Parts: sequence; C-alpha cells; structure tokens
Amino acid sequence: MKTTVAVAVAAAFAIPALAQQAGSPPPSWQQGKPAAMSESTLHPFAPHMTGRSSKDLPVNTLKVPAGFKVEVYADGIPEARSMAMGDKGTLFVSNRNGKNVYAVVSKGGQREVKTILSGQDAPNGIVFSKGTLYVAERGRIKRYDGIEGKLDSPGEGKVVIDNLDPNRAAGHFWKYLAMGPDGKLYFNIGAPGNIVLPSYMEASIMRVDPGKGTLETVAIGVRNSVGMDFNPKTKDLWFTNHARDWLGDDSPNDTLHRVAVKSPVPHFGYPFCHQGTTLDPEFGKNRSCAEFAKPSQLLGTHIAPLGMKFYSGKMFPAEYQGNIFIAMHGSWNRTVKQGYNVMRVKIDENGKASKPMPFLTGFMTDEKADPPMWGRPVDILVMRDGSMLVSDDYNGIIYRVSYAAPAGKKK
Amino acid sequence: MTGRRNATALAVAFFFSAAAGAADPNLCAACHGDNGNSTNPAVPSLAAQPAQFISTSLYMFREGNRKDDQMTPMAKPLKNAEMNELAAYFAKQPAAPAKHQSKPESVEAGAALAKKYNCSQCHGPRMLGQQHIPRIAGQQYEYLRTQLRLFKAQTRADIDGNMTSAIQAVPPQDLEVLADYLAGLEAK
Repeated sequence: MKTTVAVAVAAAFAIPALAQQAGSPPPSWQQGKPAAMSESTLHPFAPHMTGRSSKDLPVNTLKVPAGFKVEVYADGIPEARSMAMGDKGTLFVSNRNGKNVYAVVSKGGQREVKTILSGQDAPNGIVFSKGTLYVAERGRIKRYDGIEGKLDSPGEGKVVIDNLDPNRAAGHFWKYLAMGPDGKLYFNIGAPGNIVLPSYMEASIMRVDPGKGTLETVAIGVRNSVGMDFNPKTKDLWFTNHARDWLGDDSPNDTLHRVAVKSPVPHFGYPFCHQGTTLDPEFGKNRSCAEFAKPSQLLGTHIAPLGMKFYSGKMFPAEYQGNIFIAMHGSWNRTVKQGYNVMRVKIDENGKASKPMPFLTGFMTDEKADPPMWGRPVDILVMRDGSMLVSDDYNGIIYRVSYAAPAGKKK
Repeated sequence: MTGRRNATALAVAFFFSAAAGAADPNLCAACHGDNGNSTNPAVPSLAAQPAQFISTSLYMFREGNRKDDQMTPMAKPLKNAEMNELAAYFAKQPAAPAKHQSKPESVEAGAALAKKYNCSQCHGPRMLGQQHIPRIAGQQYEYLRTQLRLFKAQTRADIDGNMTSAIQAVPPQDLEVLADYLAGLEAK
C-alpha cells in the first residue's frame, strides 16, 4: 500500500526521486552504476547498421605477426556477428541487433552476400552441422535442414527448443551457439542486467540434444558468454565470459573458463564473486570466493571477449597449433580503452591457459577517444585451408588472416 | 581525420548518385525542410545530425523496427549505401537557429532534469548527439514530445533499447519540460 501511495504522490506532484524509488529501472547498461560514477560519460557503442565499405576504412593499418597477411574477405554484411561454414563452402553470418542471417557464396570468383533468413529475433547464435544450420534467437533455437541446397527458399525451419527467454527482460538476451562433440547444442543464457540476481535458468551455459529438446545445465554463475568451443584433443568445453561493469577501469577481469567432459555443474561465481577472487560489493557481502569454481585465465578488464576457436588448421606455424584465438570486441566501460583485437592463448598439456597475446591488432586508433576504434572483432572461424576469418559487426566486414612461410624457411 | 576524409568522399559520391536519381535529398527536404532544417514542428530536423544516427534511423524504418506512415515507404526502396550517402549529406548541413521559444520556467528546470535523467551522458553536454545518438538540441518541439511519449510507452524502437530503458524513470510531466527545454536549445 505504501508503494501505491508513493507512486500516486509522485505522479500528482512530480517528485521524480520518489518515482524512481517506486521501481523505475535504470537503463540496463547503467544498472549497478554507483553514485560515485554518476557523472561518467562512458557508454556502449552501436554498430553501423547499414555497414561501411572497406574502401572507406584504414584496413591496410591492421597488423599481424610476420609471415601472416590480413585482407578483406567480404564486406556489405551489415552487423556481421557469428559465423558458420557449410559443407559446400557457404559462409553463414548472423545478426544481433539486426534480424537477418546471411549467406556468403562464391560466384564466378566474386563473393556474393544474400539474406537467407529475415524477421529473426536477435539471431546471434548460428552453427552448422551435418547439413543443418541451427539458429539461436533470443528465445528459441530452430533448425534448417539441407540449407545449402535451398539458400533462396530455406523455409520456416523446425523448432529444436523454445521458451529460453520467458521473462523477456532487458540485458544479455542474445545467444552464442556451438555444436558439442557429443552432438548437443551448447549456448549461453545471459544475466538479465549488469549485476542482478539471475533466475534459475539465467547466467548459465546450457545444452540441448536437438533430437530430444530437453534442456540440460552445463555451468552456472556465468554472467554472459558469447563465445565457446571444444578442445579438439580433450573434448573439454571452453568459453569466454564478460564480467560486470561499473567497478572501475581495472576491475574485474573478463575471463576464460573450462568445463571438463562429464564435470559436475560448476558455479563460476556470478553475481557473488567475479574473476574467481573479487567479491561483489553488493551481492558478495556475506559470501566467499572459495565457494566457487575458478576461471582458467583472466583476459583483461572490460575487454569483451566474444567468439573463440581452437586452432587446429594446417596453415599456421606449429607455435599456433592448439592455441585458442579470441575476438576481443573491446571495452566501453573503461576510461582508457583496450581490446578491439584478436588475441591468442596457449593451452599446455595440463589444460593450463597462458596469458593472452595480441595476434590481430590495429582496429583501435586512440584509447581515449569516443569512439576509440574503427572496427570491432566479434567471431572467429577457421577455414578448411587453415586460414582464419574474423567478423566485424561495427562495419559489416569479414577479414581473412592467412600465413605463408618465408621462402626457404619451414613453418 | 579519416572520418572527415570519408565524409567528403561519401558526399562527392552522393552528388554523382543523386544525379543518377538513386537517393535524392530533395525528396527528404519536401518534409524535413531545406538542407534538412525542418520548419514543421512535427517533423524532425536532419541537419547536423550524426551520420550514424540518420543511417540507423533509415535502416530501422526499412526493416520495420520503426514504423511511420510517411517514412516507412520512403525508406523501403533505399539500399544501405544510399542510406549512408543521405546520412553523410545531412550530417554536413549546418543547423538553423532554434525557432522554438522555451517557457522561462522550463529553461532551468529542463537543464536540471536533463542532468538528473542522464540525457547528457549519451546525447552529449550540449545535446548535439554522437555516433548513433541524435542531436536533440533545437530539434522540433512536437516531434520531441511525440518521440519521448512513444519511448515511454515502449513502442519507439532504438537500436540498443537504451532510450526506452532510460526514460522509464521519467514521469510524464517531466517529459513535457524536457521537450520544451530541448527544442529551444541552440545547436552549437
């Protein structure tokens, strides 16, 4: 009753402080922002939804290690997010803010971009397996069988699983999708805000057997993962995770995690403990980090690790074999920006991850500017020839990184 | 620097394509005013808007995120490159002086509300917009009122949902003060 009175008073006399106390939420990305930071002008960046031509951008300033080469593979793919490669060489590309799934096909030496699915609801997650394209929208996963034979009329698809987003809350509702070595689809259900108590199915990694449609929990306490892959040798699941915002430039780290095959469901700490060591100032008050599973590596604060892939292609030198390549979308919640690159992490035989090392850089031009960058890496795909594709949602461009051993030198 | 050079290149490209009739800013001017400075209180000014805001708006009209009886059919045939050309053109046009006279009591109250509700955090200290976020200083009064109400009602799309989310904390009477205040601000 008290609340009702407060709302009525606020409405009648326009006392905004009361109106806010009566339950009006802050913008989802500002949720959890402390009063001490109320003057901060940090804000998320939005992609150029109409795309930008690579001809108008400084792509020749991108840097890769000696022997490697980076070039534009395709542009004109607005808000290019996740990538999947078909058996017949079709490159599928998804959207997050947009509603499309695209196919990039080679035609007479030219690459042609066609929109194959439209009207999708945040179709960020895509994966291709055994002739089928799976698409994860915010609330469901659908399958499009035999897709490469009908790119011009893929049909409505069949629902694999529905009701993945029953609360329709703001926050991290887009999904990443990966196919496990067990034939199950793995994906994230993100936390519905910056720092909030999640529901039983949020802030998790889940999986579903596409033939059964039953949801299984893989990991919890994961704020938002938008990238995962399986170690080709051990079959362990590895994934990236975004830590909370508004705890300052240098806290907490975004993280890399491992879940071993047949592991019990680990709790990685959110919203109580961040980066395995830092209690949340609000939710961690009466908790201990000792209770929670630890990340395998710290990746940098607010650096926004997205797509990640183990490299097992035949093109890159031995040094790079078995590395995890991670697309760092780049920080917004940091006064001095970092990321906006592709980094790699080495994994030793005990499953220990090294510190991240830069691999593809040059998107960031001024770490204190707004915006600080001209492009943002999102996802990584290893092609059949061992070269690597990197998507950039800010511009709608896909880059290809290849390696050629210098003459007379073995790779 | 690169951005400026690109804008020039786009503008040049635009004049060639306009000659070919692809995306004609004169069509826009019929409603949005000469050089995108609207004289109709219900129609927004496009002049001196951030290019990314214009291209994003056209994109959302074409894709159906935003719906409007006039704009939806206008945006329907436009290709992404044409949207970029129109955006680059109008972003370069100078804003005309604000015609709206804010009520004296709205000036101070509006500035306080703009700070309180975090308007300046995205729209900038002078409300000139940036990136995908529009200039609202000197924007048309009726247009501002309408959009604010639609955001409040959660029926006006923005690219990341931030505006819809931000405005839920603002009671309706404050929206009126904000619109009156912002429409009278000079865009400089």
